Amino acid sequence: MRTSVHTSEAMARRLAKRRAAERRFRAYGIVAITLAILALATLFTSIVGNGYTAFQQTYIALEVTYDPEVLGLGEARDPKALSGANYPGLVKKTMRDMFPDVKGRKDKRALYGIVSSGAAFMIRERLLADPGLVGRTERIRVPADDDIDMLVKGHIDRQVPEAERRVKDNQIGWVETLEEAGRIERRFNTAFFTAGDSREPELAGIRGAAVGSLYALLVTLALSFPIGVAAAVYLEEFAPTNRLTDLIEVNINNLAAVPSIIFGLLGLSIFINFFGLPRSAPLVGGLVLTLMTLPTIIIASRAALKSVPPSIREAALGMGASKMQTITHHVLPLAMPGMLTGTIIGMAQALGESAPLLMIGMVAFIVDIPGGPLDPSTVLPVQIFLWADSPERAFVERTSAAIMVLLAFLITMNALAVVLRRRFERRW
Amino acid sequence: MNVTAERMSISTPHPPTPAGLFPITRSGPESGSEPWADSGPGPLLESEPESAPGLSLEPVPDDIETVGEATVERPRMTSRNVGVMYGDKMGIERVSLDIGSNEVLAMIGPSGCGKSTFLRCLNRMNDTIDICRVSGSIKLDGEDIHDPRLDVVQLRARVGMVFQKPNPFPKSIYDNVAYGPRIHGLVDGRRETDAIVERSLQKAGLWDEVRDRLEQPGTGLSGGQQQRLCIARAIAVSPEVILMDEPCSALDPIATARIEGLIDELRENYTIVIVTHSMQQAARVSQRTAYFHLGRLIEVGETNHVFTNPRHKLTEDYITGRFG
Repeated sequence: MRTSVHTSEAMARRLAKRRAAERRFRAYGIVAITLAILALATLFTSIVGNGYTAFQQTYIALEVTYDPEVLGLGEARDPKALSGANYPGLVKKTMRDMFPDVKGRKDKRALYGIVSSGAAFMIRERLLADPGLVGRTERIRVPADDDIDMLVKGHIDRQVPEAERRVKDNQIGWVETLEEAGRIERRFNTAFFTAGDSREPELAGIRGAAVGSLYALLVTLALSFPIGVAAAVYLEEFAPTNRLTDLIEVNINNLAAVPSIIFGLLGLSIFINFFGLPRSAPLVGGLVLTLMTLPTIIIASRAALKSVPPSIREAALGMGASKMQTITHHVLPLAMPGMLTGTIIGMAQALGESAPLLMIGMVAFIVDIPGGPLDPSTVLPVQIFLWADSPERAFVERTSAAIMVLLAFLITMNALAVVLRRRFERRW
Repeated sequence: MNVTAERMSISTPHPPTPAGLFPITRSGPESGSEPWADSGPGPLLESEPESAPGLSLEPVPDDIETVGEATVERPRMTSRNVGVMYGDKMGIERVSLDIGSNEVLAMIGPSGCGKSTFLRCLNRMNDTIDICRVSGSIKLDGEDIHDPRLDVVQLRARVGMVFQKPNPFPKSIYDNVAYGPRIHGLVDGRRETDAIVERSLQKAGLWDEVRDRLEQPGTGLSGGQQQRLCIARAIAVSPEVILMDEPCSALDPIATARIEGLIDELRENYTIVIVTHSMQQAARVSQRTAYFHLGRLIEVGETNHVFTNPRHKLTEDYITGRFG
């Protein structure tokens, strides 16, 4: 065989080197992706591992006799009397009846402590809804106290010395008795989705924060989408290319990189201090998030407009369509999926944002579910921040559960963005 | 430049009456003193009578090196001293050329010679390029197309355009054709729209192929069909002039032959200006041919004349394949 430049030994070495370089490059990529997947997997395992138990709650079945004497009702059955009756006393009486041998103040306190303080409110709600129950006996399920909940779920080690755990030995004894009697059961934790915040973990829920997030996001969407799209269309289609528009473009890109807490400070000084809008309100939160989201939407929308092929514009202009008609009939419909994708990603960012909202007072402890964008409220990420700060073991799992809910929303939104992009992708 | 042939001869005889009123002289003192070079956008001859549209009343500046017959007897469009600057780069300069009614004018020349630039001047598509500046005068039926009173939207309806790459809108075939009539308010109601869509598609020779799938996207057609759809779209607004910018360069020979046949049929009702890289195509479809070189109009004339007996050395070199 004839040796040419391409079959020589030197060439073979060079080829081997080239192949090795290519293999190395691939390996780097695989290592990078593996690391990313590992990090993500660790994150998810830790969150799900910590949080999945929060979707269940321990309930204790109580044999409650609605004794008018214990309730301090006498003969009165009107709503006012019912609403002010002594329900905590009724719960205590029920507990004492269950464990008649418990004597002494300290032990009794410990006994009362195994049911949630919310039990009294539950009974009150029941009686107010149906006053005919007075004098009758029924078996109802009330949430266990968060420490008992943790004990039942196995988060509290029964072998540790009594002084080092939050649950006393006698409480463990009572819980075991109840367990044997089949009076303790774990059920789906509806309160987590239907209640507002609470100091008692077993009563705390994310609904207040979720509704607050919803209002803030509605405000953000209603403002940032039209403003962002209008700005992008103007800059991309109408604005002349000169120093001023260059400056605007640079500054929009800068704004996208500004730390979000700065937007919070801006919102505090402008919307609250200057315009006098209420503190802790989703309206202000939405305004601040609008400022933060706008650059993202403008940049994404401009990219979407740029990607519309010039041949379509030329076709429309060549037909005698005006600039406005070209844009509204052809360019915008084609750019819309990209704009929507950008908007959804911006919204997802806004949903996950907490720092700027701390500055405008959305970090307060608020029990009520907000009824409108002007009511004080908090948002999901800030709720997570608040719970993560709480010392109770039960809040740890609730924090993780709230993170799971937030992540579910974010994943849904991003998936929606992908679907939109796929669905409306046009080929030309 | 090696200009040996007759310089800028206006060989077409002038129509007796108007020419008598407005004498066109090659080197007369009046025309020589006209400030042609400074004429920006705006009506050049305010005094031009409206009763004589379509007549070549404007003298061609006499310092232009164009060889051949730049003017015709009954022009649909006239351009005088047209120059285009892209920033400080010259696109074309001093192009004076008439486009006769119901004729096919082919523009040929090497890449970058300015033939597409000139074509895009004729319906002011160059307006869409920020840095582009057009000077000189272009008239359509005697009206200056840069007249501020003339809406560019209207101009583009009267001077339609077919582009190099077929660019149907990503909409249905029906909507593609109906778009122009709709935005110009030429149709009223579905029945009229249906009629105009059918007529346009028939004229473009596409009707039989798409009559059963008018609701399907125009982008789903083959390249040749797409280009005929673009022609149908252009003629749906009843333009007077159709500009075609290398309409067959993206098509196979069979589709090309169909488009060329179509151009020949369309000549009956429309004036067509076509830019092409194929000299065979220019020879097949056009009556007159203009040869551009480095932003200048070098030679214009009867197509068979230009191809068989070029008068300018550059034209000859190009046609015989010595460059380009």
